[in-house]
Amino acid sequence: MIRTENLRKRVPLAEGELEILKGIDIEIKAQESVAIIGASGSGKSTLLGLLAGLDVASEGDVWIDGASLAALDEDQRALLRAEKIGFVFQSFQLLPSLTALENVMLPLELHGVTNAKTAAGNFLERVGLAERTDHYPNQLSGGEQQRVAIARAFAAEPAILFADEPTGNLDTATGAHVIDLLFEINREQGTTLVLVTHEQRLADRCDRRLRLHGGALVGEESGHVARDGHSGTPHLRGV
Amino acid sequence: MTALRMLLRDWRGGELGVLLAALVVAVAIVSGITAFTTRLQSSLEQESHRFLAADRVVMGSREQPPEWLAEAERLQLRTGRVLTFPSMVYAGDEDMVLASIKAASSEYPLRGELTMSVDAFGTPELRTQGPPPGQVWLDSRMFALLNVNVGDDIYVGDAALQVAAALRNEPDRATGFLGYGPRVLMHIDDIPATNVVQPGSRVRYRILLAGEEAVLEDYVQWLEPQLPAGQEIIDVGRNQRGVGGALERAESFLLLAGSLGVVLAGVAIALAARRFSERHYDYVAIMKSLGTVSGKINRMYGLSLLLLGAVATLIGAALGWGLQALFFTLFAEALPVQPGPAGMRPYIVGGATAVVCLLAFAWPPLSRLGGASPLKVLRRDLPNAVSRSAIDNGLGLGAVLLLMLWYSGDWALTLAVLAGLAASASLAASVAFLLLRGGRLAGMRAGSIWRLALASLQRNGSANTLQVVIFSLAIMLLLILVLVRTSLLEEWQMQLPEGTPNHFLLNIAPDEVNAVRDTLSQTADLAEPLYPMIRGRIVEVNGEALGRSDDEEVGRRERETNLTWARDIPTDNEIIAGEWWDPNTEAALVSVEEGMAESLELEVGDKVRYMIGSQPLDVTVGSIRRLDWESMRPNFFMIFPPAVLRGYPATFMTSFHLDKTEKQFLNQFIRQYPTVTVIEMDVVIEQVRGIINQVSAAIELVLVVILSAGALVLIAGVQSTVDTRLYEGAILRALGARRGLILGGVVIEFAALGFFAGLLATVAAEIAVYVLQTFALDMSYSPHPEIWLLGPVMAVLMIGALGVWNCRRVVSSPPLLVLREL
Repeated sequence: MIRTENLRKRVPLAEGELEILKGIDIEIKAQESVAIIGASGSGKSTLLGLLAGLDVASEGDVWIDGASLAALDEDQRALLRAEKIGFVFQSFQLLPSLTALENVMLPLELHGVTNAKTAAGNFLERVGLAERTDHYPNQLSGGEQQRVAIARAFAAEPAILFADEPTGNLDTATGAHVIDLLFEINREQGTTLVLVTHEQRLADRCDRRLRLHGGALVGEESGHVARDGHSGTPHLRGV
Repeated sequence: MTALRMLLRDWRGGELGVLLAALVVAVAIVSGITAFTTRLQSSLEQESHRFLAADRVVMGSREQPPEWLAEAERLQLRTGRVLTFPSMVYAGDEDMVLASIKAASSEYPLRGELTMSVDAFGTPELRTQGPPPGQVWLDSRMFALLNVNVGDDIYVGDAALQVAAALRNEPDRATGFLGYGPRVLMHIDDIPATNVVQPGSRVRYRILLAGEEAVLEDYVQWLEPQLPAGQEIIDVGRNQRGVGGALERAESFLLLAGSLGVVLAGVAIALAARRFSERHYDYVAIMKSLGTVSGKINRMYGLSLLLLGAVATLIGAALGWGLQALFFTLFAEALPVQPGPAGMRPYIVGGATAVVCLLAFAWPPLSRLGGASPLKVLRRDLPNAVSRSAIDNGLGLGAVLLLMLWYSGDWALTLAVLAGLAASASLAASVAFLLLRGGRLAGMRAGSIWRLALASLQRNGSANTLQVVIFSLAIMLLLILVLVRTSLLEEWQMQLPEGTPNHFLLNIAPDEVNAVRDTLSQTADLAEPLYPMIRGRIVEVNGEALGRSDDEEVGRRERETNLTWARDIPTDNEIIAGEWWDPNTEAALVSVEEGMAESLELEVGDKVRYMIGSQPLDVTVGSIRRLDWESMRPNFFMIFPPAVLRGYPATFMTSFHLDKTEKQFLNQFIRQYPTVTVIEMDVVIEQVRGIINQVSAAIELVLVVILSAGALVLIAGVQSTVDTRLYEGAILRALGARRGLILGGVVIEFAALGFFAGLLATVAAEIAVYVLQTFALDMSYSPHPEIWLLGPVMAVLMIGALGVWNCRRVVSSPPLLVLREL
C-alpha cells in the first residue's frame, strides 16, 4: 500500500542544511495499522507529511498503491489524496465558520457526492454527535471536535488514514474514547492506518510501531500490546 | 453551487462584512455621483437653453434664406423667428424713447417663459407666448417715460400698436448692460407695417430651433458648411449668469470627491480581501489536504468574488439611485427645471467599478490561496504567502488611475491626486517608522502600560507602519474633502451674501448724481459709490494701430467700452502688477483688467491711445487688476485717475440692493428720473442662490457618503491587525494581566497609531489642499490652523475607539475561548 525508498528531507538553514529525515525505507501493507513513534524533533510529522503527499521529499520516493509521489505535481497529489487519503490532526483542523455537519460534508462535497448531507449526518451519528450537528467548532469540547474530525476523515471512505497526534490535545479519558472510536471505524472500513504519536498506549494498539530517532528509523516492533497485557506479544528487533 | 455555499458560510461567519460593504460603497459612490452629475448637467443644459429661448439659434445681420427654415421644418424641428433692432418709439406728440425692439413670431419662446405683469412693476406672471399682432408689451419703466397706460397706443415707425402689458423678463435677455435699452416686445407680423426695417438698418435676425439633440446636430451639420460670414450658430455653454464658475468648481469637487471615494473604497477592499485570504489560508490548506486541486480552489474563490461583486453591484446601484433620487426629491423645488433622466450609464459605471475593484484589489491576495501549502495542516507555523507583492501594488495603482481617469475624464486632476497620494504615502511611511521608534524610546521611561503598548507597536513595526500609512491616507483624503468643501461653501456665501446689489442704475446724468443718491438711500441699500461712465475705445497700443477682427474677444476692445475713474481701488479688485495711483495724481495712467490686458498683450508701462468721441487720449498702463465678474457689482475693464477723465462727458452708474417688498419704489423712482435706466437682477440673483444652495446640499450629501468610505478603510485597517493583538492580549491575560492593563495597552496602541496618522494626515492635507485649490480648482488658499489640533485629536478618538471596539473580546471573553478561536 505504502512504500518508501531512501526517503530524505533536508531544509536550508542560515548555518547550512539540516537533514530531518535520513533515508527511510518502510513498507506498509493494506489494512495494516502502523504507529510512528519517537521524541519531539525526531522527524515523525515530517515523515507523515511525506507519506501523505503533503510535502515533497528532497531525495528518495514514496509509492502509494504503486504510484510514485515524486512523479506527481501538487495538483496530481491532491487528486490522489482526494481518492485515497484521510486525515486526523492533533489540532483538529475544523473550519471555524462551518458547523459540525458542514465540516463533515466538506470532503464529500469536494468529491461531488450527491447525498453529502445524509452521509455526513450518518457519520456524525456514528461518532455519537447526532445531537451536535449544528454546533460550531468553538461550541464543542476538544474531544467532540476530534470526533467531528474523525467523522470527516472517514466520511470520504479513504483507503489510508493518516493521524497526527490525534490525542495530543486531549485529556487521558477523552483521548482513550477517541482512540477507541478511531480503531473501531478503522476496522469497520478496513482502512490502512498510519499514525504519529508519542503516546505509548496509542502506539501499542497498532499492528506495528516504527521508532524514529534523529531522523532515522531506529527500531521496529510488531504485534498488539493489549491494555490488559494478554493479547499478543510485542517483538522488538533492531534495524 | 459550492462557491455559493462557501460564500453564504463566510457571510455567516462574518468574514465578508467589510469586503461587501466596501464594494457596495464604491458602487454607490460611483453610480450615485455619476447619476447625480448627469442629471444636474442635463438640468443645467435645459436651464441654459432657456437663456437662448431655444436649443440652438442661427443669428445674423441679414435675413436668413427661407430654405434654412424649410430644412429645419423638414427635420421636424420646432422653429421660431425673432428680429431685434433699436428704434424710436412715440406716444402722443412729445413723448419718445429710443427703445430696443424685439419682434417675435407666435412660437417664441421655444424654451423658457416670458415674465409679464398687467401693469408696470406689477405682480409677475409667466406666459409661453408674447403679444399677438397689433399689441405690444413694454418694459415697466417705459410706461413712465412715454407717459402711457395699458390700453393706450404707441407708434413703432408707422405702425400704431396697443400697449397690452408690462414685459418683466425674457428668457434670452442678454446680460451685458449694453443690450439693455428699454424693451418693446411686438409680433413679427406687424414689422412690414412699421416700415422701419430697411436694408442697412441695424437689425439682428434670429432663427430659433428646438428639438431632439441628434436632429439638431444633423441640422447644424447641414447648415454649417454653407454658413456665410455674418451668420452664426449659437449653442450655449453653461457659463451663464454668474454661476458658471461656481458650478464648474462644484462639479470638479464632486468628481474629486467621487474619485477619492473610489480610492478609499479600493483600499478598504484590498485590506478586507487580504484579511479574508489570510483567514482562509488554513481553510484552503485543509481543503487541499482533503484533495482539492488548486484550480478548483481558484475557481471557487473566483466565483465567490463574482457573486459578491454581483450582490454588491445590485445593492450599491440601488443605494446610488436612492441617494440621487432622495436628493432630487428634497430639492426639486429649488431646481429651475426638472432634471432629466440619468439613463443606465451610472449603474454600468458602478458595476464596472465593482469588477475593476475586485480584479485589482481583491483578487490578487485571493489568487494566491490556490498555492497554499497543504503541509500547513501539520505545521501551522508555516508562513502565509499572501502579502502584497510589487505586482499587486502596481495593479492596484493602475486600477486607481484607470478608474479615476474614466470617472473624472480629467488627466490633470487624476495625476495630481495620484502624485499627492504617492508622495504622502512614502512620506508617511518613513515618518511613521521613525515616530514608532521614537515612541518606543519614550516608552522605555514610562510605566508598564506604556512600555507594553509601545513595545508592541514597535515589534509589529512594518505592519504598524503600513497601518499608519493607510490611516493617514484615509484621514488625509477626508480632511481634504472637508476643507475644500468648506472653502467652496464660504466662497459661494461670500459671492452672494445677503444684501448683494440686485438692481443696477445706468445713465444717471452728472447733475442728478446727488439727488439719486439721496432718493436711493431712503429706501434701498446703496453700498456702492456712483461710478462715472465714459464711452471710449482703444485704437493704438505702443504706437501700433489695432486692426479689425472677427474674433469676439478682439471685437470687444474695438467696440466702445465703458471707461471710469476712481480715486481708490474698487472693493474686491486686486492689483496683480504695477501699483494703484496716489488719489490725487494728475498722471495719465490707466488700470486694466487682467483678462483685457492678456488679450491686448498689455503690460505695465505700455502706452495706449483711446478715442473718446473724436478726441484721442494717451495714457500709460499703471497697473493690472484682477476682479470678480460674478460679484454683481459694477466692474470695469479700464479705470483712470479722476484728473485724466474729468473733462469728458460722463454719465454715472451704480448698483443697490432693494428688498422684494419694496419693488413699488421703482415706479416712483422711474417717474422721478425718467432718463435713468433700471436693470432688475433680483430674479437672476434668486436663481443663482437657489442653484448654489442646491449644489451645496449635494456636496454635503456626497461628503457623508465619502466619509463612510473613509470609515470603512479605518475599520478594515484596524481589523487587519486585530488577530495578532487578540492573541497577545489573551496570552497576557492567561499570564494574569489585569483587564485594565490589557485594555489600556490596546487603547494606547491604537491612540498612538491614530495620533501619528492624524498628524501626518494633517500636514499632507494642508499641502494637498493648497495644491488643489491653487492649481486645479482655481480658488484662493488660506491655511487652516483649526485642523492642526482637530486632525490628530479626531484621529486618536476614532482609531482608538475602533481599536478598542474590535479588540473588546480580549477582555470580555475568557482567554482560552479567544485563543481557541484564533
